[in-house]
Amino acid sequence: MSELKESTKPAAKKSSKEWWFAFGVIVVATLLTRLYKIAEPEHVCWDETHFGKMGSWYIKRTFFFDVHPPLGKMLIGLSGYLTGYDGQFPFEKPGDVYENVNYLGMRLFCTLLGAATVPFAFVTVWELTESLEASFLASTLFLLDVGLITLNQYILLDPILLFFVMGSVLGMAKVGSQTYKEFSAQWYFWLVWTGVMLAGSISVKFVGLFVVLLVGLHTASQLWNILGDTSQPLTHVLKHFVARALCLILLPILLYVCFFYVHLKVLNHTGNGDGFYSSAFQSQLIGNSLHNASMPREVSYGAVVSLKNHRTGGGYLHSHWHLYPEGVGAHQQQITAYTHKDENNKWAIKPITEIEQDDKDEVQILRHGQYVRLEHMVTKRNLHSHKEPAPMTRKHLQVTGYGENGTGDANDVWVVHIDGGVKNQPVLTVTSKFRLIHHLQKCVLTTSGKQLPKWGFEQQEVSCNPNFRDKNALWNVEDNFSPKLPNVTVQVYAPSFWERFLESHAVMLQGNAGLKPKEGEVTSKPWQWPINYKGQFFSGNQYRIYLLGNPVVWWSNLGFLALFCSVYFFQLLRHQRSPEVRSHEHKKLAAGVWLLVGWALHYFPFWIMGRVLYFHHYFPALMFNSMLSGVIISYTLEAVKELLAEKVAFVIRHSLLGVFASSLAYSFYLFAPLAYGMTGASGNDPNSTMQSVRWLESWEF
Amino acid sequence: MGMLQPTQDAELINRKASKKGKTDKDLLKRNKIIESEPDTEKREMETDSKRPTQNPTELNLQPVKFQCQISFQFDLASLICLVVGIATRFYNLTQPHSIVFDELHYGKYVSLYMKRTFFFDSQPPLGKQLIALAAYIGGYTGDFKFVAIGAAYPENFPLFAVRFIPALCGALLPVSVYYLLLQLGLKQLTAATAAFLILFDNALLTQSRFILMEPMLLLFSVFGLYCLLKFIRCRESPYTFAWFAWLIVGLFSLTAAVCIKFVGLCSLLLGFYVVWRDMWSLVANKNLSIWSLVSQALVRAVVLFAVPVALYLSLFHVHLSILNKAGPHDSVMTSAFQASLEGGLASITKGQPLQIAHGSQITLRHSHGRTCWMHSHAAVYPVRYPDKRGSSHQQQVTCYSFKDVNNWWIVKRPSRSDLAVSRPIDAIKDGDIIQLVHGMTSRALNSHDVAAPVSPQNQEVSCYIDYNISMPAQNLWRVDIINKDQVGDVWHTIESMVRLVHVNTSQALKFSGKQLPDWGFNQHEIVTDRVVIQDDTVWNVEEHRYTKSDDQKERERDMVHAEMIPTRPTTLSFWDKIVELHMKMLFSSSDTLQDHMYSSQPLDWPLLSRGIAYWVNTTTNAQVHLIGNVAIWYSGTIAIFSYCVLLVWYLCRMRRKIYDISADEWARFDLVLEIALFGYGINMLPYFCVERTLFLHHYLPALVFKIVLLAAFTEHALTVARSCRWSNLIYWPLQILFASWLLMILYVFVQFAPLSYGCSSFTVQQLLSLRWRDSWDFIMQRSALDVDMLL
Repeated sequence: MSELKESTKPAAKKSSKEWWFAFGVIVVATLLTRLYKIAEPEHVCWDETHFGKMGSWYIKRTFFFDVHPPLGKMLIGLSGYLTGYDGQFPFEKPGDVYENVNYLGMRLFCTLLGAATVPFAFVTVWELTESLEASFLASTLFLLDVGLITLNQYILLDPILLFFVMGSVLGMAKVGSQTYKEFSAQWYFWLVWTGVMLAGSISVKFVGLFVVLLVGLHTASQLWNILGDTSQPLTHVLKHFVARALCLILLPILLYVCFFYVHLKVLNHTGNGDGFYSSAFQSQLIGNSLHNASMPREVSYGAVVSLKNHRTGGGYLHSHWHLYPEGVGAHQQQITAYTHKDENNKWAIKPITEIEQDDKDEVQILRHGQYVRLEHMVTKRNLHSHKEPAPMTRKHLQVTGYGENGTGDANDVWVVHIDGGVKNQPVLTVTSKFRLIHHLQKCVLTTSGKQLPKWGFEQQEVSCNPNFRDKNALWNVEDNFSPKLPNVTVQVYAPSFWERFLESHAVMLQGNAGLKPKEGEVTSKPWQWPINYKGQFFSGNQYRIYLLGNPVVWWSNLGFLALFCSVYFFQLLRHQRSPEVRSHEHKKLAAGVWLLVGWALHYFPFWIMGRVLYFHHYFPALMFNSMLSGVIISYTLEAVKELLAEKVAFVIRHSLLGVFASSLAYSFYLFAPLAYGMTGASGNDPNSTMQSVRWLESWEF
Repeated sequence: MGMLQPTQDAELINRKASKKGKTDKDLLKRNKIIESEPDTEKREMETDSKRPTQNPTELNLQPVKFQCQISFQFDLASLICLVVGIATRFYNLTQPHSIVFDELHYGKYVSLYMKRTFFFDSQPPLGKQLIALAAYIGGYTGDFKFVAIGAAYPENFPLFAVRFIPALCGALLPVSVYYLLLQLGLKQLTAATAAFLILFDNALLTQSRFILMEPMLLLFSVFGLYCLLKFIRCRESPYTFAWFAWLIVGLFSLTAAVCIKFVGLCSLLLGFYVVWRDMWSLVANKNLSIWSLVSQALVRAVVLFAVPVALYLSLFHVHLSILNKAGPHDSVMTSAFQASLEGGLASITKGQPLQIAHGSQITLRHSHGRTCWMHSHAAVYPVRYPDKRGSSHQQQVTCYSFKDVNNWWIVKRPSRSDLAVSRPIDAIKDGDIIQLVHGMTSRALNSHDVAAPVSPQNQEVSCYIDYNISMPAQNLWRVDIINKDQVGDVWHTIESMVRLVHVNTSQALKFSGKQLPDWGFNQHEIVTDRVVIQDDTVWNVEEHRYTKSDDQKERERDMVHAEMIPTRPTTLSFWDKIVELHMKMLFSSSDTLQDHMYSSQPLDWPLLSRGIAYWVNTTTNAQVHLIGNVAIWYSGTIAIFSYCVLLVWYLCRMRRKIYDISADEWARFDLVLEIALFGYGINMLPYFCVERTLFLHHYLPALVFKIVLLAAFTEHALTVARSCRWSNLIYWPLQILFASWLLMILYVFVQFAPLSYGCSSFTVQQLLSLRWRDSWDFIMQRSALDVDMLL
């Protein structure tokens, strides 16, 4: 089969000079459009404040927490490091002026990666269709979309993600096109390339998963075809399968794990993300209070401790002088869970009767099944619960701080219950997981993970759950100050790389799920994206950048998407009617199907996501749509050629192309200021130059 | 139906016999139907060359004999299903004689139907209507108050009638499933097995015995699918009575399922798929002209569209015309909707003057989302907020969720100083500039470039107090009537939706959704926002009257003793009502996210990790607990898994031109796949995407399809075992296994049945012995137990 392909290849090769010319034009134009005004504006734009900061932290080796996997930020950090940025700029908020900071290296790096998507699109469409026209059209749509330019010019994860996504699709097309003989070195090269790119996509943002699905489906369909070729033995199929499993499954997983390994190795200093992680995890960070800490092994009565909740991303048991507001349970002191370290996380462990403690001078170790009171060190109030509903989780009981100077009532009594413990088993620092069961109410101290409203400073709710089987009701002692017991070095429980790897993921997933829109916040909705309903400000005030797609590109993309669906459905119908008609297997249509699947996979999942969504989430889907447009235009023109007389077809074809190309170019000219910066009056102002192109009311530039 | 079935089958057999030897494909293989003889021959040769090992003739003649013999048995089986179904579902139906679980809600709705009082529910009305109908026939007057789960019903409460419909549907379900399986081309034994599984699943039994929606939902879904399968049997003779009847009845039944609960949509989609799949296969039929295909597609499309829409709308029409009195849920709806109900707001607003004019006294209601009215009171904004920002220190303007005399505002033209309304009235039109004067304090609504208290990105709104500190009043507002196309450009009470745009800054008056701290009495914040076009900037006038006097004291007295002069009532068309109701139904559900002791996750369902406690008698521990028959649920899960594995295996083998099973068997396998597995998937997967509190009973529709698949899988396994090389070795053991499996199911059913009927008391030990999985939380007296037992 591959030999047969080789023989048809020269026909395509014939036009290779033309090919290189077209490719060259695209590359040069890409570089021109992307590098133009790259240094401007000379201040922090939009999310540069996050990703620039995180890049700096890599350079400073400070641990932090983020919901995205590490590769993108590591690359930003690396590019900054290599171009001489020292990691000292704080990236505090958008609009901060860079002045003498060497930020250009990082911007250039991101921009170049982003720019690579255009030639990638060219080659991908070429491999899928072998039509120069389609490739040129598709990459022109990339080239002239001002949205892509805006998104690609800054220190963001998106250019990096788009690069890897397009790279994966390119690899998929290369492997699928059968240009290379199977199992040849080049073939393996492209297979490995695909694997590496897939690993990259998923290690930059989790949405990279969608392209993994696409490549997975494509690979499955290829294997299906190979399976159907009964002239080949089964071992042949097996060889194909193993080659792909190695390069597309095993290799990406290995790379992904490697990236995390580097991430955890590089970030070995304590930072602001510590509190999200378990005590054991923190003990690995230089500068953290648990690093090489020495404290008593056992927990005793009279010790001052901080209690860490065991749910992933769970905080420390916390209290402060503020009360629950009127109408939210009893008007007593708030108890919350707080993910940052703080003096207010300290609690004293006391026996339930004062006399007991004073009588004996000897140390009493806290054991499974014993009664305790927990006194908040700063406010001298006891951990207390009673029959009032908790503020958020109404099925639970409210937990408050109660009493004066450590004297409370019978509702302050808790039973320590070590998970899987036996009677008299001592409670150990960090390692013992235990429940605190309220003696009178028969409920268990837990945190629901829900954020309290503003009055609770958006810390997490702590409540008492009558259902003992609550998975989040486990706590451990993290800091332990006890003058009476000898300190020992608590290094025994250093977690392995795998444990840290898994924990990082659990915390990331939790963080992602927690990115819910706040009440009253106006968020972007998926239906708004394809119609380019509303953009996103990158930079305000004097030098304004507004992320918005080129409406001509976006709206025509949607039209072509509909056209493709109807054409393909029609061809399928023809095939169903008479099976010998196989026009739906036309190369361009087959290519279009994969691009359509790619678009759908990168778009529809957002409909069911509960997290906060942004306009720029649509850009991967847009790339597929643009490629699809190129393919379907070229298919339609080809159909016109077949249907009409040569001369008429020639005229129609060229006039159509001319109109399309010129309207694209003109719209680019109109909207380019959005990407390259607008100065002067704002778009609301009727005198502004941009007023005339404010085609939709909802555009806010 | 039972009578219809054998005759049709007989016909089928006749047809088969006449084609004997050639019909490798019977009617089941719909997508490869044979029309012309030459074509058949060709296909025959193809198949023969591909399947040299099989003799289709033999395979086909066997079922013929088989069916002839058991046509009597057939009726008996369905009869037994029906009798056992009625016996199990109706046994002791009025026990427990107290409110069980969601009877609390549905019972309340039934009472409200009896009283014709409007209520708001996020699900469509059919289920509640059916139960209300039964209650009505049973003589219920709607006087019982459903207060709490466990409260006893009064002696004269027609409990049997109210619980009758769900129980009846539950009793009919096994029979329907039985016929559905026969339609799928499976054997009587298989169909009877499926019916057996449905009969003896504890969860389905429990759910059928109380005032709950699922039994009706399931019955309508299954019956609808059965009808549509019948319909595609009629494909040879389109436009006949039977063709239309099965199609319309099927769609009717599936739509009824949607009208009981929106999840019925999954089954309706499956029904659409069945019809579409059949149409698609017709396309390949060269004997049909293009035009006949197009016309048939059109007819189907029209029916597919018209029947559901018509039924759905007419049920809502019934719903809205029955519920014409105001009730406790009114405030969810807009003022216009409320005003169209008898009593309630209508009694206040009836006879209000329609046109807002200079001098009108109005209350301004926030139209979408939270119900509240623009409010002010004699309290000022604090000079400094805790975050050190300053305020204007002027009078607070808030949004208040209760009716209050401080909600009154007077509309005033800037140019006039008198306030009384004089004839002819000076009506306010779209685009007019007005001032709004607070009735009790006589201060004007004002906004300025000061950050709002809780949303600093917006401007503060206040009632202007002149402190003489170079902060001039900016109290002009432009009235933008949004729906002027419908109600005209004069500002009308209730009907007109308006935005108030601040003239100096072009920002719109907005409800920010945030609560003010203590100094603002925890009322809601009102601001102005740069983004004018949004739902929270829409307001409407709810109460309205004309000012009669210019004297301040007299005006205040008027406001406190407000009295209305009736002129004409507000009406709202059916379409407006239905649109509004649906907006509220679809978008209100997000607020109801709260967890529940017994809520569960979709992943918990296939392995039955949790049940739901429905009711408990605290003295005897007698209780109703929704829990499935583990034997069925686990074997169902295994069957689904095995079915998928087998499918991949067969597909791969066929791709390599190796055929493990006969074409006949494959067609059956495929059809079961497309109905049962798709049905399972479509009823299960959406739950992974919704963010709501989910319960085990949400799994029941999927469970029915799972049971269908399970039964089909046993048949497939037995058929394969019989036709395979070692059949005499494994066939008999398999049959014994099958029989003992059925016995085991019966055993589990009997064990757990007391939890469905709730009649027998339990000791803690008995309950613990039933707790086969740690996570099953039966209710027992906690004091008797150690912590470790509960963990």
